[in-house]
Amino acid sequence: MTNDDNHPVTRRNLLKVGGAGLALTAGCVSQTDEETTTTTTSGGNGGDTTTQQTTTQESGPYQIGMVNSLTGSLSAFGERNKRGKELALEDVNAVGIGGRELEILSEDSQSTAQAGVSAAQKLVNQNNVPFVIGAVGSGVSLAIYESVIQSTDVVQLSQNSTSPDLTNYPGLLRMSPTGSSQSSALAEIIADDGYDSVAITWINNDYGQGITKAFESAWDGDVAYNQSHDQGQSSYSSVVSQMANSGADAWLFITYQPEFTTMAQEAYSNGYEAQFYGADSVKGPKVISNTPEGSLDGMKVVAPSAAVDQDNYKSFASRFEDAYGTTPTSWSAFAYDCVVNAALSIATADDFTGAALQETVRDVTRPEGQKVYTFQEAMDVLGDGGSASDIDYEGVSGPINFDENGDPVGYLEIFTVENHEYSSTGFISG
Amino acid sequence: MTDDTSSTDSANTADRRGGILGALRNPGDYFGSLRRAEQGVLVFVVGLLALLAYGVVSGGLGPAYFTYLVGLVGMYILLTFGLNVQWGYTGLINFSVAAFFGLGAYGTALLTADSSPIAGQFNPLVGLLVGLVLAAIVAVIIGIPTLRLRADYLAIASLGLAEVVRLIVLNEQDLTNGSAGVRAIPGFFEGWPLLETFPQTMPGLEIDTILWETVVLQSSFWQGLLNVALVTVFVAVTFLVLRRAHQSPWGRVLRTIRSDEDLAEALGKDTYAFKMQAFVLGSIIMALAGVFYAHLNLYVSPGDFEPINTFYIWIAVILGGSGSNRGAMLGGFVVIAIREGTRFLGDILPATFPIGLPDMLSIVETTYATIIGNFASTRLLAVGVIIILVMRFRPEGVLPPQHELIWPGTVDSSGTERPERGVRDAKTGDSQ
Amino acid sequence: MSVLEYVANGLVFSSIIVLASIGLSLVYSIADFANFAHGDTMTVGAYASLVTFGVVGGLGGSILGLPYGFFVALVAGIAVAALVAVITHRVIYEPLDASSIGLLITSIGVAFVYRSVLRLGFGSDFTEFDITLLRPIEWLIPYGIRMTRHDVAIVVSAAILVTALHLVLQYTDLGRKMRATADNPSLARVSGIRTARVKLWMWVIGAGLAGAGGVFLGLYAQISPRMGFNILLVVFAAVILGGIGSVYGAMLGGFLIGMINQLTPLLTDIGIPIGIEYANAIAFVIMVAVLLVRPSGIAGEGTT
Repeated sequence: MTNDDNHPVTRRNLLKVGGAGLALTAGCVSQTDEETTTTTTSGGNGGDTTTQQTTTQESGPYQIGMVNSLTGSLSAFGERNKRGKELALEDVNAVGIGGRELEILSEDSQSTAQAGVSAAQKLVNQNNVPFVIGAVGSGVSLAIYESVIQSTDVVQLSQNSTSPDLTNYPGLLRMSPTGSSQSSALAEIIADDGYDSVAITWINNDYGQGITKAFESAWDGDVAYNQSHDQGQSSYSSVVSQMANSGADAWLFITYQPEFTTMAQEAYSNGYEAQFYGADSVKGPKVISNTPEGSLDGMKVVAPSAAVDQDNYKSFASRFEDAYGTTPTSWSAFAYDCVVNAALSIATADDFTGAALQETVRDVTRPEGQKVYTFQEAMDVLGDGGSASDIDYEGVSGPINFDENGDPVGYLEIFTVENHEYSSTGFISG
Repeated sequence: MTDDTSSTDSANTADRRGGILGALRNPGDYFGSLRRAEQGVLVFVVGLLALLAYGVVSGGLGPAYFTYLVGLVGMYILLTFGLNVQWGYTGLINFSVAAFFGLGAYGTALLTADSSPIAGQFNPLVGLLVGLVLAAIVAVIIGIPTLRLRADYLAIASLGLAEVVRLIVLNEQDLTNGSAGVRAIPGFFEGWPLLETFPQTMPGLEIDTILWETVVLQSSFWQGLLNVALVTVFVAVTFLVLRRAHQSPWGRVLRTIRSDEDLAEALGKDTYAFKMQAFVLGSIIMALAGVFYAHLNLYVSPGDFEPINTFYIWIAVILGGSGSNRGAMLGGFVVIAIREGTRFLGDILPATFPIGLPDMLSIVETTYATIIGNFASTRLLAVGVIIILVMRFRPEGVLPPQHELIWPGTVDSSGTERPERGVRDAKTGDSQ
Repeated sequence: MSVLEYVANGLVFSSIIVLASIGLSLVYSIADFANFAHGDTMTVGAYASLVTFGVVGGLGGSILGLPYGFFVALVAGIAVAALVAVITHRVIYEPLDASSIGLLITSIGVAFVYRSVLRLGFGSDFTEFDITLLRPIEWLIPYGIRMTRHDVAIVVSAAILVTALHLVLQYTDLGRKMRATADNPSLARVSGIRTARVKLWMWVIGAGLAGAGGVFLGLYAQISPRMGFNILLVVFAAVILGGIGSVYGAMLGGFLIGMINQLTPLLTDIGIPIGIEYANAIAFVIMVAVLLVRPSGIAGEGTT
């Protein structure tokens, strides 16, 4: 026989406890005084445009979010971003924003859209950040924007995404210039070098697709070969052989460093000779160190450039070298500027909410204000009650100046490989 | 005479439990009648839910994020249900779970999204239908060559064909947008009269729990709640259908096939047809999870077809208990705990080993730092270790099927009470 | 003459696949389960040799463009892979009283453990051997064949290893016992063969060859934690094509699948619109077709 006489958990007791609990809460539930506007929802978490109530701080650090590729195929970029971010945080917190510090909650996108969306969900819905810096991969940025950010007022500023597709989303800002300028530049360079036929291979994702499409429309000549390849394969010998058989002497690579390194090695081992061209992501120190001397000589790469002549960049670069032992890439500069831009946006906003930050984030870099080159300088100009249009932050990566699509004005730099080193052979302002 | 206590015992307990209704009627009895493993699991689940609820009221867990997590749990539970039909009931080793999940997701995405390369802007209900039908068709296509194979060949072949599906989706850019994925998928309730604007029309609520923080429930929470309601409906319907199927003659044949296929053949059953039915049913359930995922996440990509997703569901089923739906639910919880929970662990645990150690043990510090700093790899390690441990120590899973197999109505509720001594003892008396 | 070029690539790729297939087939036939950790065993071998090569260095002198130190590292890679497999067998597989399905699932867990430990230890990025790349062999170029001496070294080394295995299987005691155990374990045990010890040797040889395959794959392409798993299904296809239970079948299957994989560009040349991105998919489809039509493969025994 069961001994439920000793068990106090009877239905009656359950009801009693439940009722008491409800009664307790009944007096404590009230409506928030938010205005609800009925808009046609496009789903997602958060279907209207009311202000995001921050259950966070009235004091303590300002918290914003960052989605970065700490692991996965874009982890090299993630590392660069992390370093740029850290230097920027040092600079910002040395001065402070109205007496408070800036804190960045960083989440890993694992270089995939799925994980990136998860990360953004956490930052926006769990940590209630009004500003998200993210992401590296263009596909990741777009997925985050559409799934999480679009239906809220959170500001999203991508640090590294270059696919031309982002231009179609004015609400999605980015710090690195659009790849379509790279594509036009490449088309021009290849034509100027005297080639009328090119063989293209591109990585099979948003980045590769976007840049290649833009190149195809900018290119006048013949496209002898145009094939995508997958990320992360151990061998691309078929692609390389086919490019060799296509008859074109100009080969364009729109892909990432690991993939390009494999292709360059295979071209070398097969004795193929051709003039190589590359978009921004094929350039990196690992490529140089893993390919034989002379295999890449003459290769031209177009990449977004930082404002290397500016003083603020120079001091950024020397601090970077002191801290990390290598010269910074433009990617770190973009990440640096994202953080400073966010900080300035917070400093000039009416309050720490998404809607207020949307008002200021573009204005702090518009050409109307007084040119400032560092966060310290900007805060000095702003004083106690400055507004966003008082300043024009010129970043270490360039003047920024977001256009109506959220794209910055950018510099491009042309690199040529000489003596198995990258040397800068020209600049183009986007 | 055979000892009848065990069957009497299970008959009593089966009756006494009487399912969820019995639990509500008489919680104390219910708890006492559970096996130890079941008690442990119930405590675990209730404790976890309490912890989450505490997290919400204390401000540690955002309400909208909480609903997102619950939605994901529901999705995993659906997937494990589907695999349970194939592996748990019928013994089919199906490594193509991710393929059907992805097909459900892509089926609805390609039909409802604005940016879809083939169609677009259909009602999500149409998308649901198409997703399920697509999965059923592909299940038949994959099943025809593979279901006659013995178990391990089925595993390899299903994995290979799943990879073929993934490669097709990845490379046929004209059909699927390739690796760019499909964006701008509408929410499931788009076009429904009341529910579409439910998140906006519901007022924002502030609940001032006296002891803890104020909990603010806004439209993001209500939207999340809608999603949770949707997945709950899916899960409930699937659970009821599967429970009925499992206890039906059809289910019995499947169980016979699982334990001894030759016997089933000898009894005159067309095992191939039954296996195909189970395979297709399971695939449809997995596709249902995929459809939900597409309308939750609003983005699908070929990465959803990666084999690692298949293996996560396998862990859930093995850990939870092959053949048991409740076990499948537990497995779903555990998988979510691993995938999302480690994200939080990264926040809570300190980045470096908290106690200073002498130099000799510096390797401990570096190991700790590496583990905390690389959670994706640590997660993979945890998953691998869990698989090995479960297979080694409890291969039937935590909650293998037991009372589920008995349909309550078939047991005579006026059965004898459990005697205080065993029947044999009673018969032989105390003469020892 | 690009066909010859594809054939040459196929030859090199096949060598790697053959080495991996033999090991997988051995495990399948003697331990009687599909070892999903086989690909990651290759990765273990590759990383072990990477570390060894970094420590040992070039050691002066070289054969076929590969420094002596590389061959030392190759041996280290084989040894470590074998050791890891034996330990796994002793600690995990042997005490497990499970069916072949249970072992299959366990091997997936083992694969994850190998891979995650390597990722934790070495990061998830790719690395390379620190060996200079070579230009293709001059006098082959007019024939349209582009192979470097490294490629030749891979083919030659694989051939040596396979021949050694053949000699072991046919002419030594151990080989006889292995063949007997593969054929009929109970009968073997009854006739006095210590099947447990045979199993151990089978793991040593199978994993060792896989480790060698991993080293060569690392030389041919790159070393990364995912390298083994990426290639695992192709190896399964090769083993099934060749016939489970037959080492010679595995060799043949490995050769065929490797060649077909690298000959895929020919399809588009002929006019069939299946691009090279489907090269692996073709292998999988072949595998399924084999399972349907002739599950015992080319050279395997009938399956029960």
